[in-house]
Amino acid sequence: MNDPIANSNHTSLVLQVEGLNVYYGAFHAVRGVSFNVRPGEIFGLLGPNGAGKTSTLSAVEGLLKPQSGTIRVAGYSTREQPLYARASMGVQLQATSFQPELTISEIIKLYGGIYGVPLSKEKIDAILSNIKLQDAANKRYGQLSGGQQQRVSLLIATIHEPKLLLMDEPTTGLDPQSRRQLWERIEAMREKGHGILLTTHSMEEAESVCDRIAIIDHGTIIAIDTPQALIDTNRGNPEVIRASRKGKITLEDVFIGLTGTEIRS
Amino acid sequence: MSTTTLPSTYTVYSHLLRADLTTQWRNRRASLLVVLVPTIILLSWKGLVPKFGGAFVLSNCITVGLTAIGLMGYSNTVARDRDKGIFQRLRVAPASNWTIMASRLTVQLLMIVITTLVLFLVGYKFDGITITAGGYVGGLLIAIIGGAVYLSLGQVIVGLIKNPETVNVTTRLVYFAFIMIGMFGELGVLGKEVGEAVKWSPYGTVKHIVSAALTPSTWNEHSWMALLVTLGYTFVFAFLGIKWFRWNTR
Repeated sequence: MNDPIANSNHTSLVLQVEGLNVYYGAFHAVRGVSFNVRPGEIFGLLGPNGAGKTSTLSAVEGLLKPQSGTIRVAGYSTREQPLYARASMGVQLQATSFQPELTISEIIKLYGGIYGVPLSKEKIDAILSNIKLQDAANKRYGQLSGGQQQRVSLLIATIHEPKLLLMDEPTTGLDPQSRRQLWERIEAMREKGHGILLTTHSMEEAESVCDRIAIIDHGTIIAIDTPQALIDTNRGNPEVIRASRKGKITLEDVFIGLTGTEIRS
Repeated sequence: MSTTTLPSTYTVYSHLLRADLTTQWRNRRASLLVVLVPTIILLSWKGLVPKFGGAFVLSNCITVGLTAIGLMGYSNTVARDRDKGIFQRLRVAPASNWTIMASRLTVQLLMIVITTLVLFLVGYKFDGITITAGGYVGGLLIAIIGGAVYLSLGQVIVGLIKNPETVNVTTRLVYFAFIMIGMFGELGVLGKEVGEAVKWSPYGTVKHIVSAALTPSTWNEHSWMALLVTLGYTFVFAFLGIKWFRWNTR
């Protein structure tokens, strides 16, 4: 199943993925995936382990070359104008790491420079104060807590006000307070018109914050719509009803109903 | 949709270089060891200067320093940063692969210059090695060319091996083998065959061209051949190192 508006000519789309195919040797990891992300939209890419989420995201980020398909970020082809495409997006990787010898303010200055955002010391202090890390300027990344690291990572990803923000399982390992704070920041970015593509294993979070969701399994998008529409469409599906445990159909029930109960490695 | 502007290559490179220089400075203890080993050899070989000549002793020590920079300095930091995902983070930003690597290599180039200058100074002050101004300039330039062999050899190692601990152990082993077989083979301690093999090994050719550059009057046909072989090693190692290199460890 493909995104119904993926093939239409939407010049305002922040991300257009069309007919994406990724292979690892003979293994076909991503099979003709198409979807798009609009400005001011949080788009969730959900799927069991090994379904093709990270491969799809890596292809969009430019970390792997797809065998076929086109990816456009803010109108720039990742194949033909990779630097422009990368400059138009912010990325929060699943396991981000920065040079352990650099302080937080040095890391911010480095990435500000790479994205072409000149930052004075005062500006860096103000940015850090804004994310409640004013005391961390001279600390190393490894000295911060998981929540603080996530805030720095998000700050770096959004330092250049990207049109598209990619987040790979952003809430993994965070305590409830940090998670809540992160979602508030993500929602604030949506309000400002940034398009956000994220992967998550938390169906509750996806249901509550995502405007649209694509469920991917075995490298193929098997469902794509708003969370409520996905629930409504699949309410009568016997697999979904079987997966339901609370008497009320949730996104998690739909997800399990469509992708199966089998644990993936 | 509004257009995206890209920072200039110079801006990206200068910010990367600043960060890489800061990293190198904060790891100065490791850098100090790289300089210390050839310096100790130079001091302990003071007695060999009258017998073999200052250029022979100095070129051996410079070659040991170049080996340490390329094998241990460069490859270990690349292996570590790859393993920690630091490269992945940089590569999703608008920094081209060659800019990331050019910044790293500039730092190593600086290390080659510093190490060579320190050895020139120690050789002059403590071993009484005097070289002509042309010899010093030539020696420095050839040290940079020779350093490229070991940087590219380091690239082959990080291209072949993904695990940073294994890279660390391998580079130390190769470094140890190079300086032991290289130095003793050069002195003829390990026999004639080994001596001949060492002569055309990356150690022997680099040592020879550095030595000949330090005393330009001794530069001969063999030196040109050694320079050609050195460039050949660099080209082959760099080609294979880049071909096999992966930016992530997965």
